[in-house]
Amino acid sequence: MALSQVEVLPNGLTLAVEERPWTPGVALQLLLPVGAVNDPEGMEGAASLLEGWLWKGAGSRDARALADAFDDLGVRRGSSSALEHTTFAAQFLADKLAAVLELFSDVLMRPHLPTQALEAVRQIALQELASLEDQPPKKMFAALRRAVFASPHGRNPSGNRAHLESISAEALREDFARRYAPKGAILALVGGIGYEQAKEAVLNAFGAWSGSGAGYPPIELVPPRSIHLEQDTAQVQIGLIYPDASFGHPEFYSARLAAQVLSGGSSSRLFTEVREKRGLVYSVYAVSNGVKGYSYLTAYAGTTPERAEETLRVMQAEIARLSEGVREEELERTKIGLRASLVMQEESSRLRVASITRDLYMIGRVRTLEEIEAQIAAVDLSRINRYLAANPYQNPWIATLGPRTPAAAQ
Amino acid sequence: MTQSLSAVQFKQATLENGLTVIAEINPEAKSVALGYFCKTGSRDETAEIAGVSHFLEHMLFKGSERREALQVNLEFDRMGAQYNAYTSEENTVYYGAVLPEFAPQLLELWTDLMRPALRQEDFETEKQVILEEIALYEDRPNVMLFDWGRARYFAGHPLGNSVLGTTQSITALTREQMAEYQARRYVPSNLVLALAGRVEWERTLEQVASLTASWPKSHVDRAYPALNTAVGELREPYPKATQTYLAVFAPGVSAPDPRRYAAHILANILGEEGNSRLHWALTDKGLVESVGAGVDEADRVGTFYIHAQTDPGNEEVVKGVLREELERLERFGVRPEELERAKNKLATTLVFAGETPMQRLMSVGIQYLYNQSYEPLSEVARKVEAVTLADVNGLLESKPFSRSFIYCLVPA
Repeated sequence: MALSQVEVLPNGLTLAVEERPWTPGVALQLLLPVGAVNDPEGMEGAASLLEGWLWKGAGSRDARALADAFDDLGVRRGSSSALEHTTFAAQFLADKLAAVLELFSDVLMRPHLPTQALEAVRQIALQELASLEDQPPKKMFAALRRAVFASPHGRNPSGNRAHLESISAEALREDFARRYAPKGAILALVGGIGYEQAKEAVLNAFGAWSGSGAGYPPIELVPPRSIHLEQDTAQVQIGLIYPDASFGHPEFYSARLAAQVLSGGSSSRLFTEVREKRGLVYSVYAVSNGVKGYSYLTAYAGTTPERAEETLRVMQAEIARLSEGVREEELERTKIGLRASLVMQEESSRLRVASITRDLYMIGRVRTLEEIEAQIAAVDLSRINRYLAANPYQNPWIATLGPRTPAAAQ
Repeated sequence: MTQSLSAVQFKQATLENGLTVIAEINPEAKSVALGYFCKTGSRDETAEIAGVSHFLEHMLFKGSERREALQVNLEFDRMGAQYNAYTSEENTVYYGAVLPEFAPQLLELWTDLMRPALRQEDFETEKQVILEEIALYEDRPNVMLFDWGRARYFAGHPLGNSVLGTTQSITALTREQMAEYQARRYVPSNLVLALAGRVEWERTLEQVASLTASWPKSHVDRAYPALNTAVGELREPYPKATQTYLAVFAPGVSAPDPRRYAAHILANILGEEGNSRLHWALTDKGLVESVGAGVDEADRVGTFYIHAQTDPGNEEVVKGVLREELERLERFGVRPEELERAKNKLATTLVFAGETPMQRLMSVGIQYLYNQSYEPLSEVARKVEAVTLADVNGLLESKPFSRSFIYCLVPA
């Protein structure tokens, strides 16, 4: 496996390159620490508006000419803003690297942000926010995160209706000038390019970019509680969040392996007990995720109202049962699955560039396959079971959405 | 790993029992993907057994005479397999990827599952899961838009059949009806075993021949009734929608049609996210939350489709813009620079389409199921590059969008 070369450029932009000389393609990911979590007070949704507004012209081009210029280079691209960051992803042929980076530098450093185009951007953001009503799982999770965090980490990435309606072009431009900056930003490239050549192209395009960005607010939690949202849905949405070991915790990999035993495949405990044995759901899972600096375990199920109570009870019981330990056979199976998924993820440069970016964002360096494998191998049965006994998953935040409250959540 | 094209080889063979085996072999790949592609789906169902193809797909994972339900899940996970299955109107596809050392085990497992036990107890439990899946989509108007929109557009033709079936049809379905359907549709000649990546061809062929030696030779047909698609507009209220969902359906080109590359490009020019006619006419003006266009290339039937999601207050404006854009497209065709940009983007897409054995499996398998032929990526790239303005505009000569059907799901 090729190693990623990583360097923090003088202006604070982190560059990571993984050379794959056999491929003609390049996958790019650019992450900026601009998200709902650091939207200014009273401007929730600003990061989302900015991401849309950026495309309305930049450098010497208006919106249409900008889109055409990307297309002329054969660039596949996408961008989105989320709770903690805004990401730009692109795929193109290696000989287009310098030209593609120039276009992105126009978008990030020289956008027009024209007042007359803001109204359309605002209308899209408002429609996106409204459509949460038609996506019960997403709506439930937005409410659940709000129940977990007292800090802005509980914000809805789609913004706040009143704020979206009132944010002015001028305030947004000021916000752009403050938050869109190279410090803390990550640019990762995977494909048929060399490091030195890539660095030169990046310096040419982004060398003059400056600024220190906004940083993040401290994380504040609300004590665990249960909430219910009343909505006339066919299925009750059930979400749980448990505190978990964060990156850097000495037992980080024990916790990750435990999550895999719980929900890492169709023979995992949750799928077996909730779906396969009882037929309670189509979808049930638990997954390790979180925000920078605070990891948690999220569990989800959707089921019809009369079965919601039993579903929630079985889920909580299975998650709590982890404290009694896992079996040798479960641990081995989980390790095989993790190894296979790591190797197969390597095959795709788009998945690889996303995982490089995530590592750099979360822990400030790129883990190699060998490092992850060694860490996983070092977790034996007694170690993981000692960890689970000492750190039981308990006392979750719970959100339900549906026609009525399951008794177990009351 | 991306294919270095010279190293990639295609192999095919048809066994004594009628089963076709195909492989795109890439010795440089790190994994092997393989699966069974069955030419059966909701279009092959009658109303009494609506949803049986999809329910059966779930039941295959409940094991064979030799394997219990939970044993199947354990075996997949012990190989570290990344696997799944899906059912569409026309196909049921079982696919998985593993590291090369597990390929023989994965092949044995999939092959055994093609002859499911369909135990009554498992059938009853899984029926509950299917009913939950139906309930899940009921809460998603953007999905129901297509389920109901297709039913109205295909107007009685089986391509309008719902893949999931209904709560009523699934509740009434019996194990015997499913067993009869399985025996009839999962015959060797109606299945293709496809492999991609680091495949050992000779060993694979020997193994599958031995595993399927007892499969009875048989033949099954698909019905091709006359098609009279709906034209015009239909608006239906849905209590679970707060936004308005629009779908446009129009006659397109079918799967084996050589004009399919041009059809892809046309859909791209019309509705690609970020830079297309509908993007500038609708998204750029803030009139929709999202809009997109695509093609559905089916067995002897093709469809162009457009979908959009918007605030209920924008419905009439959006419909007006859609009509206007489609009329303009038909009258004046596409411009040379639009064609070139679409081709540029497709060329990049094709480079990345070759990266993983799983991606190749899905593409090679479906292509073979429809056309009984194989196209290496380099050949697809060549055909895309060869598409001319006359090819794209030729698709508009029959005025397909003048026969559009606009289906609209609105808040009740």
